Amino acid sequence: MNKFHQQAYLYCSCMLLALSCHATSGFSFNPDTEGLEIMRVVHQRHQQFPYIYEEQSMVMEDRNGVRDTRRLKRYSRMDEDGTVQLLLLFDYPEEVRGVAILANRNAQGEIKKFLYLPGFQEKLIESKGEGSNDHFLGTDFTVEDLTGERLEDYYYARTDDIEIEGVQYAVVDVHRKLDDDEKGIKLKTHFICRDNLFITMTQHYDSQGRVERLQTQHDLRAVDGDMWRSNMILIEDKRERHQSLIKIHRRIFSRDYVPAEVFTAEWLFANFPYIEPATEETDTFFFSAVQEIDMLGGQPND
Amino acid sequence: MIERLYMLGYQSRLPVSLFLLLVTMMSLSGIQQLKIDTSMDSLIPADDPAKLVYQRVMGEFGTDNKTIVYIKDAALWTPEKLTSLQQLHESIEMIDGVTRVDSLFSLHSVRGEAGKIVSRPVLREAPQTEAEAISAKKSALANPLYLGNYFSDDGAVTAMIVSVKEVDENRSDFSLAFHHALEEELAKHREQFEHLTQVGPPRINAELKQSLYDDFILLGPLSAAVLVISILIFMRSWLSAMVPLLTSVMTIIWTFGLLGWLGIPINILSAMIPSLIIVIGSTEDTHMMAAYLRGLDQQTENRNREQAVRYMAKHIGLPLILTVLTTTLGFASNLFSEIGLIKDFSIAASSAMLLNGFITILLMPLMLSLFGTNSNNTPVKCVETNSVPDRIMRLFRYSQSHFPISTLVFTVMMCAFFIYQATRLYVTNDPLSYFPSDRPLIQDTKRIHEDLAGIKLFFISLESNQDHAFIRPENLEKLSDIQAFLKRQGVYDQSLSIADHLKFMNNQFRADVTFGQGLPETPQLAAQFLMLMHRGDTDSYISQDYRRANIIVRHNVTDSHTLNKYIQELEQVMGPIVGSDISYNIIGENLMVNNAAESLMTAQVKALLLLLLLIFLIMSIMFTSVKGGLIALVPAVIPIAMMFGIMGLLDIPLNPGTAMVAVIAIGIAIDGTIHLLARYNELCRHTSDFLSAVNTSVREEAAPLIISSIALSLGFGILIFSNFTIIAQFGALAAATMLFSIFANLLITPILMARIRLVGLYQICAMPVNCSVLIDSPLFQNMNEYQRRKAVLISEFREFKQGDVLVKQDTIGRDMYLILSGSAEVVREDEGEKHSIANLQPGQTFGEIGYIREAERVANVIATEDVTALRFNYERMKQDLKFFPNIVAKLNFNISYILGERLADMVGKSR
Repeated sequence: MNKFHQQAYLYCSCMLLALSCHATSGFSFNPDTEGLEIMRVVHQRHQQFPYIYEEQSMVMEDRNGVRDTRRLKRYSRMDEDGTVQLLLLFDYPEEVRGVAILANRNAQGEIKKFLYLPGFQEKLIESKGEGSNDHFLGTDFTVEDLTGERLEDYYYARTDDIEIEGVQYAVVDVHRKLDDDEKGIKLKTHFICRDNLFITMTQHYDSQGRVERLQTQHDLRAVDGDMWRSNMILIEDKRERHQSLIKIHRRIFSRDYVPAEVFTAEWLFANFPYIEPATEETDTFFFSAVQEIDMLGGQPND
Repeated sequence: MIERLYMLGYQSRLPVSLFLLLVTMMSLSGIQQLKIDTSMDSLIPADDPAKLVYQRVMGEFGTDNKTIVYIKDAALWTPEKLTSLQQLHESIEMIDGVTRVDSLFSLHSVRGEAGKIVSRPVLREAPQTEAEAISAKKSALANPLYLGNYFSDDGAVTAMIVSVKEVDENRSDFSLAFHHALEEELAKHREQFEHLTQVGPPRINAELKQSLYDDFILLGPLSAAVLVISILIFMRSWLSAMVPLLTSVMTIIWTFGLLGWLGIPINILSAMIPSLIIVIGSTEDTHMMAAYLRGLDQQTENRNREQAVRYMAKHIGLPLILTVLTTTLGFASNLFSEIGLIKDFSIAASSAMLLNGFITILLMPLMLSLFGTNSNNTPVKCVETNSVPDRIMRLFRYSQSHFPISTLVFTVMMCAFFIYQATRLYVTNDPLSYFPSDRPLIQDTKRIHEDLAGIKLFFISLESNQDHAFIRPENLEKLSDIQAFLKRQGVYDQSLSIADHLKFMNNQFRADVTFGQGLPETPQLAAQFLMLMHRGDTDSYISQDYRRANIIVRHNVTDSHTLNKYIQELEQVMGPIVGSDISYNIIGENLMVNNAAESLMTAQVKALLLLLLLIFLIMSIMFTSVKGGLIALVPAVIPIAMMFGIMGLLDIPLNPGTAMVAVIAIGIAIDGTIHLLARYNELCRHTSDFLSAVNTSVREEAAPLIISSIALSLGFGILIFSNFTIIAQFGALAAATMLFSIFANLLITPILMARIRLVGLYQICAMPVNCSVLIDSPLFQNMNEYQRRKAVLISEFREFKQGDVLVKQDTIGRDMYLILSGSAEVVREDEGEKHSIANLQPGQTFGEIGYIREAERVANVIATEDVTALRFNYERMKQDLKFFPNIVAKLNFNISYILGERLADMVGKSR
């Protein structure tokens, strides 16, 4: 087990210990409680705040153990009409500073994604994929991993509860919902801690039913009453043998931090203007800056 | 001692039998521990420094151990076919050890469409309608990075690239198991496509192993059958056929048992070891049997097996040990090869030859003691018959006697022609070239090469000393320049680098940039594009810190020499292109194997020269003559020149198999030369008529030499049935070389041999003479050991029975004798009266006057008991010692001294 894992498990263990002393769920897990019902409660409990600002580090480790660190800011807000807006804005490494992904999910669940590459043009480029399960920006994450599932898009089937290291989990399989609302292929399984109704682990399956990705939540904190958040999300790609870790350094639930204007092209262009093709001087400056950051132990000097 | 060794099997049958049985039993248990090695590693020198670089590059940019599943169908893009492909993709993913399957169901397509970027898999799952299938085809073929790798230009061919986990060292059958599992899945879908096959290291490995087993099963018994039949035809003796078979079987068991115990693996070259043992090992048996039969012929009455075996031991004991050593040397010359394949084969084959000699020496006398015939009914007689060997010999003798010079001139011209042809030789070490071209594996490889890019690949790995180097436009431009040069070379199918990916991305973002023209203009944009790509799509081309980049080159060049030439060209331009702040390595398993081929050629030339030198030294020492050493080389050099010439003429490349023919063939061909020269040398001890000695030795040795050479040729010829081209080529060339060696040994060597006189060192050593006789003899006084020995070697060794007249009075002769043992009386006859003049003892000489000047002998010299003497012929001494004036001067001085003493004695007596 490497240091990366050790830290993750240490956080996880601490939180599980705390959880075991904090049985405040109030929700009654009857054997007959259906998957969808559980998921509804999970959503209600942990997605109470519509305005969230986060400062994150994304650490990606490839199959050889080589790590790549990015720093980003996450802005998300849910408006009263049910529209969800998400902005991921990269500010480290220097060469990707200003790169942004803007996602917009309307009340009907339609997702639109836009890319902004300051190195390319002052232009938002619509990025089309197959849906909310597309990975983005070369990570193991999908938009849905960050915004949460729309319950009406899936079929939830509860299976037997399990106990892992003394903690009770409700297990809900997530299936593709067919046109006739019937159960389709199994896509993932949520492991929901019965004590706080928080999804602490999700297994994603490939078409053969093999675990393709494993997403675990660590460093769990009760942020407001029954609402919990994790400060560290780890996704391991079992097939490609690489993993991504998101560490949340700072989280603020405040409308002021996520004004509607940050989700606009104008705001992005104004704050992160187009990078002109390199001249001798700018080129030298760019690499000097990068080297300076590296010498400071990989942390940008804000 | 040698005679005692040979008589061991005859005289101590039970202990020898028990010993042989015990070792055989132990060896059988060793065989169970045998390992098979068909890996590419065995083709690469273990200490190749490129290996470390290769491992580092593989570790960073991913393995090149990938299997390509090739699917061809004119109607590939239909829902039915694509459904079948999806099932195949999914079932392959389920195979144990598969880590990744890249196919149209996993590839991502990034496309710029009306200002949008569309990123999606080419196909997430099989389409339901024809229209969806056509759309998927369009999407797939639109990506130039996938063309040649995953799709043919017309879309009729697609490939699945299957990556498997690192080979599990605990599972030696992992590669084989994977190959079979994949083949099983392909079989389920094969009927639905025009062509569906797999090519990759596991299949190559599996086929190498299977072919190895097949060869073991086929070649050994076939060689044995050929051996038995040829010996039966030539020698008409069941025993002569069965004994070599028995010794061979025992040797095979001992050899493979030994390899098992020593942990030395068998490889594809080892497949021919049973055949080599049977074929080469039988020559010793044939020579021993021929000598035994001659031994019987020597006995006029009461023929006795033991006497015949003793005769055999005495006459071919040492030459046979020498031939075993030279054959072993031939195989052992590759013992220090850097290539594991050749080194392991060399250990196995040289051990086999040594063990076979040992077993034969013990077993042959034992078998003769039990089943030996008492009469010689075979064609191996000194009497000329109408047999094949005799017919060949008649032809040769006619040439030798009527056109000796013409024959030599013709031979020289022929050798010159073949040497010229040999200049066209080239080297190849491609594992695929080990298989015949009509084999399905090779056909499939060609098919992939025709429709997609070749399955062989190498990497150009670049490393900068600057951070983020390979997102900078100028360095990306360098990658493009290298690829442009590769394209200009025109031998590679495809090259891919991160520059291609970035160009493609740029192209999709900017509709106005044609693919292949536009690289990102800023490092920021390059980095931002890279962010959008899946790491799995780029990690084979660029390191995470952008300091290292990798160009993957796919090709189908099988000729090592050609590939190395193009790589050298590439290396010449790499420096100027990349500049001083970027270092580079051109690396790949394929290239390391190729480089090994070049070193293989150098190593073989060295081994060949070393072997020739060793043979020259051994033969020079054995016959105490540089000329003897040189003559021994002639029958070795002629067949080699002819063999290399034929290789050049027939476009047969030098490869791990054919490269060894020369050294191995010399090691074997020299055996005949040793037997021939040894016999000639033996005969020369008893006659001054060297031409007659040549004829006699050739007549006596011709039959076993021709029989063994033809048997060897047939035995080697069997190897053309091998499943491996390199072994078949080895067999064919070795067979031809064996036939050439008959020509060289029996036609050319005798012409040269008749012109020199050889004396075997071992004969001098074995002379039944007290050395003090020579030292104390007045003829050799004041001469050192070397001078004495040289003088003795020029003489002839003669034996006389009691009562024999050694010198006859009143005859003219120019011979002088030195008595080594026994005694003789000098008797002068005057008008019927005999006067005893002197009694001669060992060390004393007679005939000096005739030696000094041509004059009638003044007395008879008669042996009063059995006498052995050295005969010095004036003409011969003059001829052979002309380059040794010191020895001549001392001899003349000593003869003068002896004559002076005799004169003084006579004067004294007359007073």
